[in-house]
Amino acid sequence: MMNRRTLLLAGLAMPALSRAGFAADPIRIGMTQPLTGAVAASGNYVANGAKIAAEVLNASGGVLGRPVELILEDNKSNPREAVAAAEKLVLRDKVPVLIGAWSSTFTLAIMPKLMEYKVPMIVETSSAARITTSGNPWVFRIAPTSEMEAVAFAELLGKFTPAIRKIGFLSVNNDFGRGATEKFWAALGAKGIAIGRTETMTPEATDLAAQITALKQSDADTVFLTTGVEQQTLALRQAVEQRLGKRIVTTGGSFPDQLLANPLPPGNTSFHILFYAPWFPERAPHPRIAERYTAEWNRKGWEFAGLTEGFRGYDAMLTVAEALKAAGKPEAEAIRQALWTVKLAGVNGDISFAKEGPAGQESGQNRPNVSVVTLSEGKTGLL
Amino acid sequence: MSTLLGWGFVAALAALPLLFPDPYLLAVLTSAGIFIIGAISLNLLLGYTGQLSLGHVAFFGLGAYASALATLGFDIAIGFGWRLVVAPQPVWLGFLAAIVVAGGFGWLLGRLAFRVRGAYFVIITVCFAQVLRMVALNWVELTQGPMALISIPPFSLWWPGEGWIALYRKDQNYWLVLAVAVLAFLLVRQVVRSRIGRALVALRANEPLARSVGIRVTHYLVVAAVISAGIAGAAGSLFAHYVRIVDPDVFLFIYTVTMVIMVVTGGKGTLWGPVVGGLVFGLMPDLLRGTAPPEAQWIIYGTAMILFVMFLPRGIVPALVRRPS
Amino acid sequence: MDQALQHLVNGTVLGGTYALLGIGLTLVFGVMRVVNFTHGELYAFGAYMTYAAVSLLGLDFYLSLALATLLGMALGAAIEFLLLRPMRRADIDSTMLVMIGAALVLQNGEMWAWGGVAKLIPNPFPGTPLVVGPVSVLPLRLFVLVVSIALLLGFWLLLDRTRIGMAMRATFQDPETAALMGVRINWVNSATFAIGSGLAAAAGALLGPVFMVSPTMGDLVGLKAFAIVILGGLGSLPGATIGGFALGFVEEFAGGFVSTEYRDAFGFLLIILILALKPQGLVPAKERIG
Repeated sequence: MMNRRTLLLAGLAMPALSRAGFAADPIRIGMTQPLTGAVAASGNYVANGAKIAAEVLNASGGVLGRPVELILEDNKSNPREAVAAAEKLVLRDKVPVLIGAWSSTFTLAIMPKLMEYKVPMIVETSSAARITTSGNPWVFRIAPTSEMEAVAFAELLGKFTPAIRKIGFLSVNNDFGRGATEKFWAALGAKGIAIGRTETMTPEATDLAAQITALKQSDADTVFLTTGVEQQTLALRQAVEQRLGKRIVTTGGSFPDQLLANPLPPGNTSFHILFYAPWFPERAPHPRIAERYTAEWNRKGWEFAGLTEGFRGYDAMLTVAEALKAAGKPEAEAIRQALWTVKLAGVNGDISFAKEGPAGQESGQNRPNVSVVTLSEGKTGLL
Repeated sequence: MSTLLGWGFVAALAALPLLFPDPYLLAVLTSAGIFIIGAISLNLLLGYTGQLSLGHVAFFGLGAYASALATLGFDIAIGFGWRLVVAPQPVWLGFLAAIVVAGGFGWLLGRLAFRVRGAYFVIITVCFAQVLRMVALNWVELTQGPMALISIPPFSLWWPGEGWIALYRKDQNYWLVLAVAVLAFLLVRQVVRSRIGRALVALRANEPLARSVGIRVTHYLVVAAVISAGIAGAAGSLFAHYVRIVDPDVFLFIYTVTMVIMVVTGGKGTLWGPVVGGLVFGLMPDLLRGTAPPEAQWIIYGTAMILFVMFLPRGIVPALVRRPS
Repeated sequence: MDQALQHLVNGTVLGGTYALLGIGLTLVFGVMRVVNFTHGELYAFGAYMTYAAVSLLGLDFYLSLALATLLGMALGAAIEFLLLRPMRRADIDSTMLVMIGAALVLQNGEMWAWGGVAKLIPNPFPGTPLVVGPVSVLPLRLFVLVVSIALLLGFWLLLDRTRIGMAMRATFQDPETAALMGVRINWVNSATFAIGSGLAAAAGALLGPVFMVSPTMGDLVGLKAFAIVILGGLGSLPGATIGGFALGFVEEFAGGFVSTEYRDAFGFLLIILILALKPQGLVPAKERIG
């Protein structure tokens, strides 16, 4: 029995030891995304964006004369697995920088570990305000906060006919949904728009009839829908079914791509707040970068609409590469220092970080661009 | 298994962080250890009373939430304009709260569920954990719902000469989990060897006979359920302060299944069964990580469960112990 | 009032598929004394097979539904033959563990085969709802309701009018006597598990196009099926039917009028209530184990 045990322990220790002695040639960059589970669609798109960014970087000679290697770890759409994935990337793969973790809840879960292990993380999607205001100096967010999105949207109000007068909300019951509800409420309320009913749903809910029927009874003319892409698709379909009869605006930058091939019946137009509109790369702030990204993606034969979210991974990788160049070495603290100095052109636009949060403990926050895309009978347009 | 061999095993595990101070190895062993404590507690119900409780993760999750909430503090409305306000408490109090709350629910479930047996009991225990998950998801004021309880403080201990120290380091947490696991093991051994244990074994063998000779069936089953739930709650508390985040998914059925697999493959109704099964299945995910996708891990788990129940129903430990004789 | 009517319609549509799920589970338990943990996975299997047939093979929608149901029955028969037949003398807990193992394998096999991203199944029905007064319903949902009820009726006829149905009922009531009376238990078990699985796969095939298809779709549904049979009284077929519709109405009305957040929790809260007040379920079965 003792023999078995020593054998077992030796077997355990061996991979850990041999790995430690293996000085990796490529620079490892860790990423955790929801590759399976409730929000898997978006997570896979972001991961794909990062993969092609790694290829593009390596095709042009890598970073600091070394190739970059993206190490991708699934967080299974679950905050606890997100922590486990981050620990694995930092402790076992010894990555000096992380990208993650799609949902605000997953990102918030990982944040104490960043402090513990002193590793910076590029936040590519999460929108909750408290990510950059809680005093974590290892967090650098390229994604917009819900507030930025809401304020930017409020500037576009004049483009809607008939005008938006009263709004309601259908939001997923987590940081993402609640944050968007609160910030759009404030930003549009400040423009004199009346606020109606708010309905919430759990992330795994599929039958939303009860929520939509309740919203139908309210006198709002526009409903803001905030959730992952799967539930967006379900909600848009069921809104038609229950004759919601109101304008729907989705927030958060996800696009219900399955409705391109399986469109809603004629007469239903939905509005989508996006951070990259791949149908119109020539109208992006940096068309050449957007076109390169779009071309690489299409060459893979991936779902075209995934481009709307894939750019997040792409831009995050470009940001990491830029920080590595500025740092001169793949070390966590050096990368963190360098992130404050980066200025680069990404698919979404210019990327640089401004300080947010309590003095001495600031997190970095980028100011991204927002566009509104319309979807009608499987065709897209730019508002 | 002889006592000496057992203590030798514990000593070897205790020396491990000194010999191989690899933080990832320790992280993996610590997580496995927490689940092994859960499996040890489940074994008391599953192995010794013969009750297939498939809601065991409920006690684990209750312990995690109770401990996290006690140390973070909370402020909730309890109706009629009253509010219940609890200031943040020290972690050891949270640990006690976890045991008490989980044990209390163990008593409740014991009273309710032992009115019915067999398939009914199993389905009720599954639903019980599911109801708790729903509550955790939706009682946002208390549990933060899907936003999860975050920034839970790490465990802290009073150490001679050092005062209160917070256990941030991997080796500290590893030793803490090891110590609690040893205590849980000794407690279950004590229960099993006591009058309660003998009554339980009599019940499992022949309930009508046990009743007829005057063994108070419900009483002993409820006692076993409370002890089992209390240990699971302690494991939940360790989990909360080690991972430092608790979310409603802690109540997922799959975690009960993990513990059941550990007990069944190791050998239910044997003291070492959950430890052996727990080491095998607690370490497997990380040995497979990188070589196989996560789905493969669960396919292996499922297949192992089927094969063990069909071909080695008594588990690994009885098979090993019987061989020398 | 208008809202209540709409909830009534939605609840009926939901209840029909819940009843299908509940009946399949109850039948298997009643005849074989097996708590079928693979039930939710067979539901997901039915949905994926429909997706494969419609989207990948380009088959006709109705044909695909039938095919998915038949494949579900075949898978059920295979599970019965490989896993349950060797376990017939084992206790109920051991078969339960085997079924849990099988559910793990099935769910993760689906994840492996199809990936984690949810899929949409195209359907030939118009996307605009039918409108009657204040109530609107999608033609697809109406179709789902009609087929569910047809399947329920067909199932009752099968049980009532055919030899195999008679054998099932006999075994349901008393397996030992049934065996003594010359019922071939192996054959009855195979048929029972295949039919139970087919009903679950049919429910998945019908609801897949209404919602979306994902590998974890069976999780919540499997738990709900348990809730339904507990509501109806474990081992009672009329109870499972009533329990299915009851759960549909409770979720829809409580979701609409009390709290949408707790929508999925109401069914489970109802179970706790029922167990506290009336532990035998709404319709107590004449014969019960344990």
